[in-house]
Amino acid sequence: MSAIRVGRPQAKPDTPVHVRGLHQGNRGPYKHQTGHHEDGTSDARRSTGIHWKRHNAIMKIMPNISPG
Amino acid sequence: MTTTEDPTRVTGRKPAQIVDMSWDPITRIIGNLGIYTKIDFANQEVVECHSTSSLFRGYSVFMKGKDPRDAGFITSRICGICGDNHTTCSNYAQQMAYGVKPPRMAENITNLGEAAEYMFDHTLFQDNLVFVDFCEAMVKATNPGVLARAERTDAPRGDIHGYRTIADIMRAFNPFEGEVYKEALKVSRVTREMFCLMEGRHVHPSTLYPGGVGTMPQPNTFTDYLARLMRVIDFVKKAVAMNDDVFDFFYEALPGYEEVGRRRIMLGCWGAWQNPDVVDYRYENMNRWGKAMYVTPGIIVDGKLVTNNLIDINLGLRVLLGSSFYDDWVNEQPFVTHDPLGNPVDMRHPWNQTTVPVPQKRDFAGNYSWVMSPRWYHPETGQHLALDTGGGPLARLWSTALSALVDTPYVKATGNSVRISLPRGEELPETTLEWRIPQWSNTIERDRARPYFVAYAAAMALQFLEESMELLRAGETKIFENFEVPDEAIGCGFHEAVRGVLSHHLVIRDQKIANYHPYPPTPWNASPRDIYGTPGPYEDAVQGQPIFEENGPDDFKGVDIMRTVRSFDPCLPCGVHMYMGKGRTLSTVHSPTYGANHG
Repeated sequence: MSAIRVGRPQAKPDTPVHVRGLHQGNRGPYKHQTGHHEDGTSDARRSTGIHWKRHNAIMKIMPNISPG
Repeated sequence: MTTTEDPTRVTGRKPAQIVDMSWDPITRIIGNLGIYTKIDFANQEVVECHSTSSLFRGYSVFMKGKDPRDAGFITSRICGICGDNHTTCSNYAQQMAYGVKPPRMAENITNLGEAAEYMFDHTLFQDNLVFVDFCEAMVKATNPGVLARAERTDAPRGDIHGYRTIADIMRAFNPFEGEVYKEALKVSRVTREMFCLMEGRHVHPSTLYPGGVGTMPQPNTFTDYLARLMRVIDFVKKAVAMNDDVFDFFYEALPGYEEVGRRRIMLGCWGAWQNPDVVDYRYENMNRWGKAMYVTPGIIVDGKLVTNNLIDINLGLRVLLGSSFYDDWVNEQPFVTHDPLGNPVDMRHPWNQTTVPVPQKRDFAGNYSWVMSPRWYHPETGQHLALDTGGGPLARLWSTALSALVDTPYVKATGNSVRISLPRGEELPETTLEWRIPQWSNTIERDRARPYFVAYAAAMALQFLEESMELLRAGETKIFENFEVPDEAIGCGFHEAVRGVLSHHLVIRDQKIANYHPYPPTPWNASPRDIYGTPGPYEDAVQGQPIFEENGPDDFKGVDIMRTVRSFDPCLPCGVHMYMGKGRTLSTVHSPTYGANHG
């Protein structure tokens, strides 16, 4: 570094922002996350609303869109 | 004064009458810009120009030792208008370092966000800031003869934009009251909403991470975006027509205007919008996935494509000193001696750069800027080329057109042009626009390319939307891929910030950042003279340019110089102070509309 005088740092800049052990939301536990499939896809069951069966596509040719 | 010949050909020059004219600061969000010129009023030309920045920020200094996963969030703060470009570029660099490839849906969401950003930023800059220099009020004050002619000239594309004469268009450009000015503000709001749907927050995204995004891909994410896009699509068609009319008129009304801001054609473009089917973020394959990007990277010298290989572009980067307030780092330890393919990496490459700031007094004969001088080493000639970005769009369109690799449903590059198809909007029918490679790299062409690139971004957004909805239908909603931070790694990201080339170079040691160097477009464009005495693009473009303004030294506004500097898109110029010789200070304050009351 150069000859610029700087004060004492007040932060610990190398503190990790991420805590180990927390996983991405879209990978398991699949048993408890209905609607999420192991291949990364999802379907309408992902909805947390009531009467979730009614959110499924009503015909076979229609896509089973994940409502988010 | 309406005609000028190339100064080198003019015989019988009048004795020079040189006046110092300076604009400092031409402030912008990233840094602080001043333009110092010597103008010869007898011969109506700029004799000398220095571009200087008086602000040091030191991202490369304080990034050291931080968690590399934070880099995208920190570097976003470099800019208050294109911060997301930094986040995206940083994520590209990190993805290379971590060896992770985001799912296709995540790439599409990032691409959609970036497309909205280009549309938002270019519209705001062109219609609310560039056009202030071309509006009726400004032309009346600087070239009344031109305005009189504009009143008599019919606009050739009046059937598209609805204005009868060129002067009518110029009146619509008037700040705060013109129709186009006000409409552009609305459009930039709507396009920013589109951005927020994808990246969470403007301008520092909250949902972009290395490895993917946090945006929930649900049907209305994309339909909301599409509805907004279709609302602004007619505005884009009109903007292109209006720009063409006004800029063609300037060439016609002021013969020789092509010399304003003209410099040798030396353009750089680092490519934008990854193709999710091809990109794997591995350095070894960078040439392949670089060429698959939806804006093709490339370096253009004298109108010819020198290379479109990202690896060549990367290895040719050199950061030179010469007029900057830094000590050299050649005696420091290099971080990366060879790239992953075994090619030697130069000590002046961003991977090896160590920033050693040395504050000092500004001296135009010595060091005068905090900006360094990034150059590209041309292996054939051994020259260090001072590439510019043409404000962004000019280089992007030029590179894409020459490479002729982009062939998508809405955008096609032909080898000498780029064809952009936009669907039917509320008023106007389906339209195909064609941007052709211009003869010059000058002020007008830099400005003209901008609305064409807005159309380009809108067209690409349509494709990304269609692909995203296809994925959604198939249930492919995965948006994130997990990764581990390696103990040691290097990475580089190449992207296009709104105003041009953007690269991030990252070195990780002990899972922490050992070296990090973002190179946004402004260091390229605003760079001072380098060690070889080569001036930076602003200086080069302004130096030797003719002056068409009819005002003399006493009421000189410098509009031709400002048009040139602004054509490079030096971000939001929120204040222009002009110093005129012996202590007379004229200040003209341009405030962005929002926040104008906040001091």
